Amino acid sequence: MAKRTTNEKTKSPATKAPQLPKVGTGIIGLDDVLHGGFPTGRTTLVSGGPGTGKTIIGMEFLYRSAVNGEPGIFVTFEERAEALRKNTLSLGWDLAPLEKDGKFFLFGAHVDPQAAISGDFNVKGLLAIVEGKAKSMGARRIVIDAVDVLMRIFDDPVRERNELYALHDWLNDHEMTTILTLKTSAGGDTASRYEFLDYMADCLIQLDHRVVEQVLTRRMRVIKYRGSSYIHKEHPFVIADNGVNIIPVSTVELQHKALGPKVSTGHPRLDTMLDGGYRRAACVLLSGTPGTGKTTLANTFVAAACERGEKVLYINFEESGEAMVSGMLSPGIDLRPALRDGKLRLMTAAPEAMGAEEHLFQALRAIEAFQPDHVVVEAMSSCNRMGTKQAAYEYLIRLVNACKEKGLMMILTNQTAGFKNENEITGMDMSSIIDTVIFLRLIDIGGEINRMLMILKSRGQKSSNQYREFLITDKGIDVRDVYVGGGGVLTGAARQEQAAKEVLDARLKRLEIELREHNIKQKRAEMEAEIARRKAELETAEAELKALQLDEGLVQEGRDIRGRMRDEDANSLRLKERVRQHKERGTGRKEGAK
Amino acid sequence: MNRSNPKAKTRGAEAQGETYVLRLFMADNEPNSKQARENLEQLQETYLKMPHKKEIVDVLEDFQAALENNVLVTPCLILVSPLPRVTVFGNLSNTERVVTALRLM
Repeated sequence: MAKRTTNEKTKSPATKAPQLPKVGTGIIGLDDVLHGGFPTGRTTLVSGGPGTGKTIIGMEFLYRSAVNGEPGIFVTFEERAEALRKNTLSLGWDLAPLEKDGKFFLFGAHVDPQAAISGDFNVKGLLAIVEGKAKSMGARRIVIDAVDVLMRIFDDPVRERNELYALHDWLNDHEMTTILTLKTSAGGDTASRYEFLDYMADCLIQLDHRVVEQVLTRRMRVIKYRGSSYIHKEHPFVIADNGVNIIPVSTVELQHKALGPKVSTGHPRLDTMLDGGYRRAACVLLSGTPGTGKTTLANTFVAAACERGEKVLYINFEESGEAMVSGMLSPGIDLRPALRDGKLRLMTAAPEAMGAEEHLFQALRAIEAFQPDHVVVEAMSSCNRMGTKQAAYEYLIRLVNACKEKGLMMILTNQTAGFKNENEITGMDMSSIIDTVIFLRLIDIGGEINRMLMILKSRGQKSSNQYREFLITDKGIDVRDVYVGGGGVLTGAARQEQAAKEVLDARLKRLEIELREHNIKQKRAEMEAEIARRKAELETAEAELKALQLDEGLVQEGRDIRGRMRDEDANSLRLKERVRQHKERGTGRKEGAK
Repeated sequence: MNRSNPKAKTRGAEAQGETYVLRLFMADNEPNSKQARENLEQLQETYLKMPHKKEIVDVLEDFQAALENNVLVTPCLILVSPLPRVTVFGNLSNTERVVTALRLM
């Protein structure tokens, strides 16, 4: 956020080229727009419709000048001095001590509407008063509020013009740094009637407020600045309890800090997937359809960060702080210690409660005051309710830029309607300033809804490009591998079923192997048994054979014996015969039986 | 604010026991201011028969008086008393208007 620069009498201009001397405006952001401040000793015309904040800009300039010891004169033609003092006090600016010290002079220059007019006149009275006061106070700054009211008494455009020129000349001659305010109404006669003022003044600021989608939006624009550069854009501004806050529309120079060191996401598995975690000064987008656990994922980080002693600012447009804190208890995330220790600050607001710039201002101020390490915005998608899509876009982009300039890490959640629209997921065409996108979605498999997580983008770090199952348990989040097979990614019961099936398959296989081994064993055993049996048979057969042989031997033996015996008998017979024959033949020859 | 002390002279026309006080604010020797002075003198002669008091203030010399009387333009004639207070802007060239405003008719 821009700083006030009221202290210096003249501020060195932002650009290097020698420029006309300027006076710090004391108004947040205005010096940035005017590249330094109002032109010293010259006239700045602030014009705008009723209620656009002309008076307050003049008042803040003079008040802050006076507080810093630079006296000033405030001439009001419209409001009563007393009423103005009261209004000013409501902004916390107490004029009384400054008036007492001669640092501030509030002149309720009331033009008597009943006054009769007879002949020509001019504004010498006013000039005499201003000159007298300026001299006695040493004032070099003056605000003339609603100068058109004074001019009305002339009741003639030509005389008005002459008098305003006279006034302007006088102010210039006296080198008064002047803010003239002028009421204009679009399309009214004042626009053309006081057109010459636009040429007369050295610096021209136009204020405007409009209601877009039921949300009041204030804008300011510098129309011209003689001899000086300025930001040629419409700048949103807010009037808050600390005065006017102009939020200069970012110029081309981006002063983003480079992505810093890793910061744990609060879950080790997710850290691994992101090659260590989120990164400092990064903008992390958690996108997903409703109910996917964006808040839980964000708060996992928040709780972990706060525990490490880092400070988190949580801007919530979705639900009250209480509702979120109690809601987070169910997944086991207790934010209460962080809140108690002042590590976590919750900022909740209805997006439609105020305009985008008011929201932006509140956020920037909270950042300034709280000095957090991280900022969470819940949710990007609800910002659209601040008015137009453009307003929401501006709000976000400027908040992200501010965080990046400060080197803060930012988490944006974004509710998407589906998971087909890539643009929606990566967030409102802001993808150029978003460093990490984590996409959460629900997946319906086997009659069951499960959460899925995927890192769509992660600048400057390696990351897993795989879907993971994202679980919200009563002990926080968990990230698990998913079954990736022929049928695609499986989660939940389907994943479990698949896993069980695999276990069963494995067991079956083991069983089969065992069975086969067993079979082989059995076969071997059978074989061996067979062998044994055969062997036994063989042996039996052999034994029988032997027995038979033995038998046979015995029989033969017997036969032999008997044969022999018979032979012997026969022999004896034959012998007897032979003997007889021999005896008969006379030769004594002997013959065997076989 | 009342710089002149009433001298208890009554105004014939209304006889209310109040001093008729006119105060003319002008700026030095500006043409309009000169004219206003002359016109006022003529008015005095013609219409102000009763005793009265006239003050002439040069705002360039006495801005405090201008401030106190809320005089933004010059010349400016103020009927300070009797009340109600009346203001006339201009060089007083339109006599009729001045006389009517000052309740002298």
